[in-house]
Amino acid sequence: MKLSQTSLSLRARLYLFSMAILTLFVVNVATHLWGSFARSESLVAYRDAAVAAQLVNDLQQGLESARQQTLVLATLRETTDEPLGDAERETATAELDTLRQRLGKLGALGGESTEDYYRRLFDSGSQLLDEWQAFYNNYNRLSSQSSVESPIQYNDTWQKLNELEQRQEALAIERSRTIDGTITLTDQITVIGFITTIAVTMLLVILLIRSTNSSLLRLKTGVQRFGSGDLSYRIDENRDAGEIQDLARTFNDMSGKLSTAIEEVNSSKADADAANAAKSMFLANVSHELRTPLNAIIGYSEMLQDELGDPGEVNREQVQHDLGTIIISGRQLLGLINEILDLSKIETGKMQINLESFQPAAHILQVCDALSPLLSQHKNTLELNLVGAEGHTMHSDPGKLQQIVTNLFSNACKFTDNGTIVVAAEISQDQLTLTVTDDGIGMTVEQQGRVFDTFVQAEATTGTKYGGTGLGLSIVKDFCAMLGGEISLTSTPDAGSCFTVTLPTIGPASNPEAA
Amino acid sequence: MTTNMSRHLLLVEDNEVNREMLQRRLQRVGYTLDCAADGQEALDKMRDVKPALVLLDINLPVKDGWTVAKEARSDSDIQDIPIIALTAHAMESDRQQALASGCRDYATKPIDFPELVIKIENLLTA
Repeated sequence: MKLSQTSLSLRARLYLFSMAILTLFVVNVATHLWGSFARSESLVAYRDAAVAAQLVNDLQQGLESARQQTLVLATLRETTDEPLGDAERETATAELDTLRQRLGKLGALGGESTEDYYRRLFDSGSQLLDEWQAFYNNYNRLSSQSSVESPIQYNDTWQKLNELEQRQEALAIERSRTIDGTITLTDQITVIGFITTIAVTMLLVILLIRSTNSSLLRLKTGVQRFGSGDLSYRIDENRDAGEIQDLARTFNDMSGKLSTAIEEVNSSKADADAANAAKSMFLANVSHELRTPLNAIIGYSEMLQDELGDPGEVNREQVQHDLGTIIISGRQLLGLINEILDLSKIETGKMQINLESFQPAAHILQVCDALSPLLSQHKNTLELNLVGAEGHTMHSDPGKLQQIVTNLFSNACKFTDNGTIVVAAEISQDQLTLTVTDDGIGMTVEQQGRVFDTFVQAEATTGTKYGGTGLGLSIVKDFCAMLGGEISLTSTPDAGSCFTVTLPTIGPASNPEAA
Repeated sequence: MTTNMSRHLLLVEDNEVNREMLQRRLQRVGYTLDCAADGQEALDKMRDVKPALVLLDINLPVKDGWTVAKEARSDSDIQDIPIIALTAHAMESDRQQALASGCRDYATKPIDFPELVIKIENLLTA
């Protein structure tokens, strides 16, 4: 397929096709015109030949008749001496003029190839006619001697005339032969050209259809493959040129953009699905965490109601203990709800930072005092070391600092029995360093890696053993980040844990979206 | 003290507060109880005591409730003891998982006590 290999544009193919057909058409018309010209040439040649033959014939007859007349008159003059009348002489002169005119006409018909013959005829004929004219002019002058009876000049003219006629005849035959050959040739060229035109046109049509068809087929294949989900399929742009190449290129561009868009949509969908799954997980966890204290609250309340309805003494001590359990569970529930609200605010970026100047040592002390009842639950003692922070002022969010201390302190109390909790704080180089250390159950390295995740405790069973939701440390970590600081952890199983919080004394200038 | 084994239950619950509460309420309506605080203890007591029914919390240390239910089903000695799962997980998928792992019924925390008693009675008289 020559056309498709040279990869012409569709327009170029159509132009080429049209030009080829037009050229063939022009060739056909030219050969036809050539043939027509040859035919008209042939007609002219035949007509000229016929006219010449007629003139030669007339001239022969005229010469013969004038010769007879001069011979008769010459005989009469010798025998009768009768003079020639003026009228008769004029008639004879007119006849001679006619002969002269015919001789001239014959000259006008001849071309270069008969010029020599004509010149000889004209010279001889003119001499003969001059002799005859002289004969008539001198007829009445008896003294004059006439030579008209001599046939020499007449025969010479006659011979020259015959030579010219033969020459013309030969030329006419030769010319007609040439013209006939030309006509045959042009006829053949016309027929061959016509057949060739049909063949070449059909060949071009087939080539055009096949090359265009294969181009369109490539486009169609591309559209089908892409449409059926093969997003990486591209059309070979270099197999075509011009409009079809442009179309292929445009299609490839479109395919590229579409597959990028589809990938983006898929990726967004995966992200949305993951976010949705996380949300469902969060809801399930929240539901689970709320139900656990509610179970105790509802269960103990119903039980007390039932037991108070029983006959007999009321065990006041038992009732007081049960009510205490209900109150603790209720507070646990409240704390849980607050933590969930905090977490929700952090996650939606609505947690505000309230910056103010305050003395961190005083706030830390206040929290430890408020939480001192927790110490006695597990028989722990508190060691406070706030000397390094006393007298210093920082500009940050005191509420969040208190929440951080509360969560770390209550965690330490929860996971330590008969131990010592050390809360220490110091300020140096515009940075508050707060450590909460216990000598409780501690954590393995693997557990340390996940305690800051939402709803995750060191062990899945920690909650059932020690209570809590797994939100406290997650919130601490988020608060630290919001205040421009960070939290780190060192821990050894069965030896205790140490949480270290570092916060800049000058908090974030603006209220950043929670990360 | 004589124990009517047809009304003797095993309560498996690791949360002390909830365990004591349920124990007292069930004793008050006439059941006798053994208690277990983790999964392994639960299986041991099922084999030793052969209770008439087991109330099984799912969030358990050592072995979780699903594992306990599956192991109980594959042990021919105790596979016929009906188990009621107790969990604070309230999703439909949790209920299906409970039934699939061999529990005969399912109760969501906070426990609706009268309904729990009906479920226990249904299984004991079946």
